[in-house]
Amino acid sequence: MTFPTIIVRGLMRRPVRTGLTLFGISIGIAAVVALVGVSRGFETSWNVGMRTRHIDIVVSTLGSGITPKPFDASVRDRVAAVPGVTDTCALFVDFTSVEDSPMLIVSAREWGGFSWNHLKIVSGRMPNDATEPAVVLGRTAAETLKKKVGDPIQIDIRELKVVGIVDGGALVENGSVMLSLDLMQEITGNEGRINIIDVRVKPGSSEEEIQRVCEAINRVVPEAKAMSAGEHIASSEAYRFVQAMSWSTSLLAVIMGVLGVMNTMLMTVFERKQEICILLAIGWRRRRIMLMILGESALLGLLGGMVGVLIGVLGVKAIHGLPGIRGLLDPDLSPRLFVTSVTISIGVGVLSGLYPAWRSSRLTPSLALQG
Amino acid sequence: MKNRLSTAFACACVASFSLADDTAMSASQLAARLNALQQDGNSHVRLKMEIHAAARESLQLQIKQRRTSSGTDIVYQILWPKERAGESVLLRKSPGDAARGTLFVPPNTLRAIEPAQLKEPLFGSDLCYADVIDNFFAWDQQAIVGSEVVDRTTCQILESRPGRGERSPYAVVRSWIDTRRLVPLRIEKYSSAGKLMRRIETTRVVSDDGRHLPANLTVTSPQRASSTEIDGSRLRRGVAYTDRDFTPEGLKELATPRAGAD
Repeated sequence: MTFPTIIVRGLMRRPVRTGLTLFGISIGIAAVVALVGVSRGFETSWNVGMRTRHIDIVVSTLGSGITPKPFDASVRDRVAAVPGVTDTCALFVDFTSVEDSPMLIVSAREWGGFSWNHLKIVSGRMPNDATEPAVVLGRTAAETLKKKVGDPIQIDIRELKVVGIVDGGALVENGSVMLSLDLMQEITGNEGRINIIDVRVKPGSSEEEIQRVCEAINRVVPEAKAMSAGEHIASSEAYRFVQAMSWSTSLLAVIMGVLGVMNTMLMTVFERKQEICILLAIGWRRRRIMLMILGESALLGLLGGMVGVLIGVLGVKAIHGLPGIRGLLDPDLSPRLFVTSVTISIGVGVLSGLYPAWRSSRLTPSLALQG
Repeated sequence: MKNRLSTAFACACVASFSLADDTAMSASQLAARLNALQQDGNSHVRLKMEIHAAARESLQLQIKQRRTSSGTDIVYQILWPKERAGESVLLRKSPGDAARGTLFVPPNTLRAIEPAQLKEPLFGSDLCYADVIDNFFAWDQQAIVGSEVVDRTTCQILESRPGRGERSPYAVVRSWIDTRRLVPLRIEKYSSAGKLMRRIETTRVVSDDGRHLPANLTVTSPQRASSTEIDGSRLRRGVAYTDRDFTPEGLKELATPRAGAD
């Protein structure tokens, strides 16, 4: 019988207990996959949105809130004058509930600005001008709001008309209500105010060059902060909070998994005391006994990790299909996350096996005689 | 007591400076600080109200409020659904006087709200007019009657009773105050018979410029077996109002106030 076979047989002795332990650790790993995948997915989707719109730098006051605080629209002119900046587009972005819907992004864009250019019309048309009382809806927003072209939609106190449904190429864009900046400023009483400036720099600029432009913008615009598009969402306190919550919740679930595996392995050591002592009596070294226990716990971790990834993926898919959530999540279920999760799971298995393995190494051959 | 919105958002408005020595605060000091937070001048709130009764009803509302030490003026207006858009309530209260108000239902119905009518529900929700305009933190009798953990936060239970000069449908209001953030996480209002009339739970607290505000609230009325969820989506302080905005004539106009300094 080979050493790996002994490890596998060790786990198969108590299949129900092994199965339950494996299920426990897999739930922890499923939490890692689901929570971290969803939060990373939001970041990925945000960045895809930035790339789709060819945005290099975002100037805003994004801090602890979900949306940035408004500032004077004249800031845009100062940003546009910074060397290296080739184009700018002013926006007023709000996160609010519209009619009967949950919270949605209402994204008001400077009429004629480049942030309109990438939108592909799925049905209807774009607004005719900056003052037409009209909006276009991202595909997901249209589904969420149950609106089609020609329907009325109320934004604050104004009833507007849905004139088009668009594909913005990214989750965030497709989940947004889009209208002209002038209209939104008038509706919300924010004339002359914006809260985001999208900035483009010379095509082909390196990350270092983009950073230099950010620094130059920050020197002339102290009331807002310029960040490269990739850094923007990651610097949001709200996003960092969500990320921290995801990892901390996952950590708790993983700790429960550790305790479950440790309990199982300790029980194994106690129940197989006689067997371990006999193995020592026939010449097994203590290190080999420890390796056997660690091998069993690592195998539990590996299997638990694989099952956990499967449960996590299925769970996310199931949540993704729920009414009210459909289309709002774009989880990042990448191989990198799976590998990370399984590695964590194996680490959990090894960690959980350390104490039982140490206990097993303290046994002596003579204990076998005590029954 | 202050309605949730008021408490949450107004409180949010008022918001929080953190208290280093919160444990040492007396009931009157705690109430005074919460009351001071309410006097935050002009603000504008946008929120969604979902009423769960025999049928479910969603409303989009705006609140215009002007709160100073010399009085409080509040306007609640329905923005959506279209059939109810424009329904508005104006409530006013000066220190020492009973609250009064006006209800406007488009196109032309104006009705006075007398002090005896302050128990009536606001737009059919679980809040009544008194919940919106009363400020129980300003009442004379304040006592800390214990502490309890609410949502993993240790809260001081502040018991407020109206003084002789105060008129309120409630005889006792208990509020569970997170003294670190100066946010009520739960409010219970009792009748003179000791019956629980209203419970308001804070379900989400947000931070805005270092101030903490209850953003989402759930209001339940044991007597009605219904509940109302309030989700705040926008709060602006320092907006510009005119006196006309807080008159019965002003109620007839549905307009968003202009931005002031945020």
